[in-house]
Amino acid sequence: MDCPACKNAMIILELDQVETDYCTNCGGIWLDAGELELLFADTAQAQQLVASLQQADVEVRSHPCPICLKKMQKVLAADENQPLVIDRCPKGHGLWFDRGELSQILARGNFDKEKKVIKLLSEMFSHKSEAKK
Amino acid sequence: MNILLLLIVIIVLFVVFVIGIYNALVRLRNQVKNAWSQIDVQLKRRHDLIPNLIETAKGYMQHERGTLEAVTNARSQAMGAKGVAESAKAEGVLGKALSKFLLTVEAYPDLKANQNFLALQEELSSTENKIAFSRQAYNDQVLFFNNKIQMFPSNIVAGMFNFAKRDFFEIDTAEKAVPKVSF
Amino acid sequence: MWEQIRANKRNSILLLALMAAVLALLGWFIGRSISPDPIAGLFGIVIALIIWMILAMVSFSSGDAIFLTASKAVPVTKAVHPQLFNVVEEMAIAAQMPMPKIYIINDPAPNAFATGRNPQNASVAITAGLLGRLSRDELQGVIAHEMSHILHRDILFVTIAGVMLGTITLISEIFLRGMFYSSMTRRYSSRNRGGGQTQTIMLVIAIVAAILAPIMATLLYFALSRKREYLADAGSARLTRYPEGLASALEKISQNKTPLSVANKITAPMYIVNPLQKKGMKLSDLTSTHPPISQRVKILRGMAGASFANYSDAFKKTTKHSTPIPSSALKEETVQIRTAGPQKSVDSKKQTRDIGDIMQKTLGFSFINCSCGLKIKVPPNYKSPQVQCPRCGTVSAV
Repeated sequence: MDCPACKNAMIILELDQVETDYCTNCGGIWLDAGELELLFADTAQAQQLVASLQQADVEVRSHPCPICLKKMQKVLAADENQPLVIDRCPKGHGLWFDRGELSQILARGNFDKEKKVIKLLSEMFSHKSEAKK
Repeated sequence: MNILLLLIVIIVLFVVFVIGIYNALVRLRNQVKNAWSQIDVQLKRRHDLIPNLIETAKGYMQHERGTLEAVTNARSQAMGAKGVAESAKAEGVLGKALSKFLLTVEAYPDLKANQNFLALQEELSSTENKIAFSRQAYNDQVLFFNNKIQMFPSNIVAGMFNFAKRDFFEIDTAEKAVPKVSF
Repeated sequence: MWEQIRANKRNSILLLALMAAVLALLGWFIGRSISPDPIAGLFGIVIALIIWMILAMVSFSSGDAIFLTASKAVPVTKAVHPQLFNVVEEMAIAAQMPMPKIYIINDPAPNAFATGRNPQNASVAITAGLLGRLSRDELQGVIAHEMSHILHRDILFVTIAGVMLGTITLISEIFLRGMFYSSMTRRYSSRNRGGGQTQTIMLVIAIVAAILAPIMATLLYFALSRKREYLADAGSARLTRYPEGLASALEKISQNKTPLSVANKITAPMYIVNPLQKKGMKLSDLTSTHPPISQRVKILRGMAGASFANYSDAFKKTTKHSTPIPSSALKEETVQIRTAGPQKSVDSKKQTRDIGDIMQKTLGFSFINCSCGLKIKVPPNYKSPQVQCPRCGTVSAV
């Protein structure tokens, strides 16, 4: 799969039988909807998480979804007080985190209720996030 | 004169007949040899795999030195075996030692999760299957060949040119799988 | 024994001959409907046969290549899936045939097929979805089923019959369309051909024949492929000496709901189970390329030993029909069923991952197991020669 931001070939990372796609060039991360299902071990819960993110009212150029190539939407992640904008495929294929967005989400520590996504991402990218500190 | 001619014709016919049977026997013997070389390839592969397997298992199974040594010893016995009958016997012993070893492995989940070990185990069990299947093909050929050199008239030609009966490759599987797992 | 099975396929040849007769009759009626002269009938037969021969030649010269490409099958090396290679090798030894070429289809739906007109030019293909789901014993059963098709020369039969079915459908279609258009033009030009009453009758018969011929050919084609399917099941049990392997593989396959995306009606008989059947859609017995899976499983599980005779007995007991096994294969032999191998874990998450891994390996991804426990999968078009683990920082060569 090619990175939606810089078009480089992304590598796949697997931890505890869940995969993410990672661009070594720009540091972006793709979280596939199917992988979220595996992570939650529940289809409905994963779909709900993706759908629950509110559309953001920002004028930023967004990337195309790496699966269906439709323009992704900017959505609000984390809580309302400190909004953070990430990308979501309008067809629900998955979520995209740009380089800086990952460390911000990890720093705040709340993304999904059970913190499964946070746990996965912080485990997977522990080297990077530590380097940031 | 006529009698001489008749005699020559009979001799020529006899020689042609003998040559025909002789060639048929040689062809059959080659098929037996060929089938044997198929088994031999797999037996060699089995012998090559064992040291790696034992080496990988050693670190995990310190308390099973006896089992590991039994496999190693059986392997060197099998490698030194000469001829089909002796080799079949030695391979049978090795097969038993191996299946005991593989049963013991079941008690070591760490070893069973080792990718390297899993790959070796897959190769070994495939080799065991290949031995079993090529053994059947070989024994079919031997049966055919042995029948031929015992039956008239080919038995005469076989006697003249010293075609000897071949041994079957029989590994006794009857008492093989009685697992004794001691805890 | 395999030679005997190959030689004894009278029933299949009979079905093929019937299909050829349908083709010839169709040609004759169409010829006669165009002109009252009997020569025109013969001419029609010749044309029908010529079309069949051209299509047959194309599919024989490059049939497997076309089929494999159409199914998006990728040739793979042993590194992609060692177990698959081992199992195929084992079955090649058991069947005493040369090693076929091995392909993987990157599709999560479970299925498999074999192609090649003889054992020297054979290929077996299996979907990633099936490969990821099966235990070793089950995989062996499926591969042995496919190798039996090759040994029994079924691919040859299915190709000849498939091409014949295609020809009949093609000719009927062209004729019916032609009739439709010519009747329209005739109406406008109001030209009277004046062929008499017999000619009109011939025309009606030809139209009826053009409608019925494809249906009859389809039924014959399906009858033929169903018979070969049972025989391949029996062959699989005999080769592996473990009927349960194929039986439980078939069950696993039947639990799947997604139809294979790359199959169509003509290629359907090549697969181990009908790739087009959707769940909840019950195909009637006559128009199915494959016998019902539940029946195949029941027969396999009813076998007392692993010989052809055992299959034949189980078949008769289960279906109450006459045996599909040629009598020459029913010789007395005792083939004992061997003991079971290790089972596959039924963890669905792991299974999904396994299927994904097989698909990625087939596409040429290289796998790196980092010492920290993270698995890194690098695509073939990745530019850098090394990759740094984002978890522990270790740099590994690609």
